[in-house]
Amino acid sequence: MLSTFALDTQVLQKDLCTSCGACQGMCPYWSSWNGRTVWLFDCDRENGRCQAFCPRMPFDEEALRAKFFDPSQADPDIGPCRGLYLVRSADPSDREGAQHGGTVTALLKLALSEGLIDAAVLNRMEGEDPAGFLATSEADILACRGSSFRIAPTLAVLNRALKEDEYKKIAVVGTACKTLATYKMRSKPFPDRDNNADNIALVIGLFCGWGLDWDGLKALAAKYVPLEDIAHMDIPPSKYHSLVIRRRDGAEVSVDLDEVTPLVRPACKACADMTAEFADISVGSGRSADGWDVDKGWNELIVRSEKGEKLLQLAREKGALEFKELPEGALAKLKRAAAGKRSKAAR
Amino acid sequence: MTLDAPGRVVLMQGNEAIARGAVESGIHFAASYPGSPSSQILGMLGKVAKERDFYAQWATNEVCAFQACLGTSFAGARSICIVKQNGLLCIADALFCAAQHGIKGGVVVVTSDDPSAHSSTNEFDSRHMALSASVPMLEPTNMQEAKDMVPYAFEISERTKQVVIIRLTTRVCHGRGSVSLGKLPDRPRKLEAVDEWDRMVCVSFRHQIMLDTLEQVRSLFEESPCNHYSGPAHPEKLIVAGGTGCLYTKEALHLLGDPKDVGLLQLGCIWPLPEKLILSKLRTAKAVLAVEEVDPFLEDALMNLAGREHLDLRFYGRREGTINRVNELDPDHVLPAVSAFTGLPMPARQKTSDAPLLDRDLNFCAGCPHRATFFVLKQAMRREKMPGIVVGDIGCYFMAGSEPGQYGWQVNNCMGSGINVAEGLGQLSAYGMDQPVVTMCGDSTFFHTVLPGLCNASYHNSNMTLIVLDNSATAMTGFQPHPGTGLTAMGDEVKPMSIRAICEAMNCTVEEADPFEIEETTDLLTELMHRPGLKVLIMKQPCATLMAKSRKEKVTVWVDQDKCLGDACGCDRFCSRVWGCPGNSWDFKAGKATIDPVSCVGCGVCAKLCPQGAIQVKKEARS
Repeated sequence: MLSTFALDTQVLQKDLCTSCGACQGMCPYWSSWNGRTVWLFDCDRENGRCQAFCPRMPFDEEALRAKFFDPSQADPDIGPCRGLYLVRSADPSDREGAQHGGTVTALLKLALSEGLIDAAVLNRMEGEDPAGFLATSEADILACRGSSFRIAPTLAVLNRALKEDEYKKIAVVGTACKTLATYKMRSKPFPDRDNNADNIALVIGLFCGWGLDWDGLKALAAKYVPLEDIAHMDIPPSKYHSLVIRRRDGAEVSVDLDEVTPLVRPACKACADMTAEFADISVGSGRSADGWDVDKGWNELIVRSEKGEKLLQLAREKGALEFKELPEGALAKLKRAAAGKRSKAAR
Repeated sequence: MTLDAPGRVVLMQGNEAIARGAVESGIHFAASYPGSPSSQILGMLGKVAKERDFYAQWATNEVCAFQACLGTSFAGARSICIVKQNGLLCIADALFCAAQHGIKGGVVVVTSDDPSAHSSTNEFDSRHMALSASVPMLEPTNMQEAKDMVPYAFEISERTKQVVIIRLTTRVCHGRGSVSLGKLPDRPRKLEAVDEWDRMVCVSFRHQIMLDTLEQVRSLFEESPCNHYSGPAHPEKLIVAGGTGCLYTKEALHLLGDPKDVGLLQLGCIWPLPEKLILSKLRTAKAVLAVEEVDPFLEDALMNLAGREHLDLRFYGRREGTINRVNELDPDHVLPAVSAFTGLPMPARQKTSDAPLLDRDLNFCAGCPHRATFFVLKQAMRREKMPGIVVGDIGCYFMAGSEPGQYGWQVNNCMGSGINVAEGLGQLSAYGMDQPVVTMCGDSTFFHTVLPGLCNASYHNSNMTLIVLDNSATAMTGFQPHPGTGLTAMGDEVKPMSIRAICEAMNCTVEEADPFEIEETTDLLTELMHRPGLKVLIMKQPCATLMAKSRKEKVTVWVDQDKCLGDACGCDRFCSRVWGCPGNSWDFKAGKATIDPVSCVGCGVCAKLCPQGAIQVKKEARS
């Protein structure tokens, strides 16, 4: 079957596409519009990279995991885990505008200044919508803080950057769909057409429950806060049952979660991976006994690979991150949440 | 065309012969809307109109052309209207009314049928129109007859005060043959004043008069020099043929050894049929073969006649199945039919070659702006959650329904239909139909039949987008001028009409775009489709053929094969395979893309599409 046709019938038409962008940026056949992957023209290939990189196409998960991670450290709920931490950026200015503790920002700044990476594929807001962005400076990294709750086709930017081959040590930050696709790229399914996958130097996963439909979120936001006036959005712990929108003037608007859940992309409901298991490090929001007002300034962090371990060690040595003691039962709580997403996806 | 040398034999194309016939007839007025295969006739008349002192017009559509002829006829002028089969259908109402009110000065309508629909969307047999409108029709077999039939048609028209139709078919229009020239009139005769009590009105009591006129014509046709018979005086086997069928039959009979027992009746007078002449041969016949283009018109009419006369004979032809029911005649089809009919064995034929003919699909010309427009349209449609509905129309862009236009449209009715089909679709949002609706028309079609539809769609606020493919030409039929061009058939410069101003006056939202700016125009179209109401997007880019001629600078486009990755690129030969311009080709030796410098006109769009940036464009002033 032609690859474009395979993706259309097995992913797009089945509503499994998150529009991560893994199929894009390598050819003129795939593009993206308003958060949707767009199949433009028919390609004649049956072994396209688009198909091989798509995180929603069938693949041998165990083989891919074994290729990059130590199987003895794999947890059935949260994937490879060398350690779980509660951290935040030591630089308070990182935390301003960050989703929670600014941990990813701090790690990227550190990796860039230490020469571990020379660029990072991130998301930033362009007008009303999030867009993939190749950050090559500290200022670029800072411009990409915060979550839009929408999946942008970020990996199209990665594919283009790899093809251009200008940056040799590129970091990728993304939700589970994007990091899985990135590991599919790194596994080089077509060694003669690897698109310089070895230039991928670091992968940071983001915990993700779901992304929202772009049009739907815009319509919802228009009801409460104009899109351009949104400074920050967050989903506090489940007992609050709300989406909290912070305006640029600091005022907060709480939207009942029941208004938000219908906007969840169908593709995200089918996703079983909350913690982005294919990554060197995965980062999410913090949870502790201190309550949400404190926790929302912290991140939970899972170290998954040796490279991730080294980076965290470096952050500790350089004082880039602050560490806080993990409360008892934090791992069990995280495992329960991840298992919950997995079981919902199975349904 | 204006050579005054009676008796001189010259080589002429069929269309040219018709034009010469019109000049020899001393016409005052000629009008047409271009349509293949008879597009050239008015162009030729336009060129000699001033010299020969008559008026020629490329009309906005066929109805304008024909009714203008009726107007001039009222003043006693001789006028000729040239249409193709679809144009004849356009003027149906006017023709039926004219047949009933009759005419004053001679009116001849030349219509061209396109068997096999080489340059049409459908086959149609104009003879049915003569039958149903009760007007006389003639059909020439060759170029000499084509020329001679024009003055003859005017003579019949003026004697019987009736419109006369001359039916041509593609091979007669485009074929060439010897024509012995006739005399040129000094100049068209002087017209007399129209009297206060002169009338030309379609009223019901003239129905019987119209039928009586037809019988008067029939008696004239019994003696017409346009019908020929060869063969035994009382044939048992009779072939009745019209138009090109006569030529193919003669060739077949010759190849079968010129049998003496077969009669061939060539009918130039197609309607009303000279029944006495036909019956004089039919009464003794045991079997009749009808050889004719498109429909079994003569076969059925003869069968009807034989039934009325209680004749016991068998009919063969396109109805019966001896000859292919659809597509045009040719010697390969007619010879076996005549062989089977006469019982004479097929002659041995020598095969000239076993080499297969290369398949070549229809395609837009290199540099055609329509290719870019439909590329843009496809991209914009694919951006939708559910791609919208695209309605086509008639013009070069008809090809957009297949590969050259990315299978761009889904519905196509007839010329000028797109706006109306889309108007209907655009009224369905109350019933859950929320896909964008897009239709298109060329600039010539816009003036031809889209205007009333646009008026209707705008007045009723249909939710749709009309793309006007403004290439500044009636390109498909050969660059005839239209009201947007500022030129007339006689070469006069006049004030052109602005499509934009017309659309704005009709309260449409109007935008203009350059289809060659692929990204920008895709974004504009995407945005426009989502605005409410009727939107018009005018795609401005001249027809490639015009562009290449008029450009001041020399543009060279080539592939830098060091940059092109060949099959290693993810593009999968995007330039030659998907973009599909005849200028973009594949260098099989190098395994890289290449550009054919002969085909390429230098539009440079492929350079914008190449993901490797391997296609280079160089512009330099023309020396």
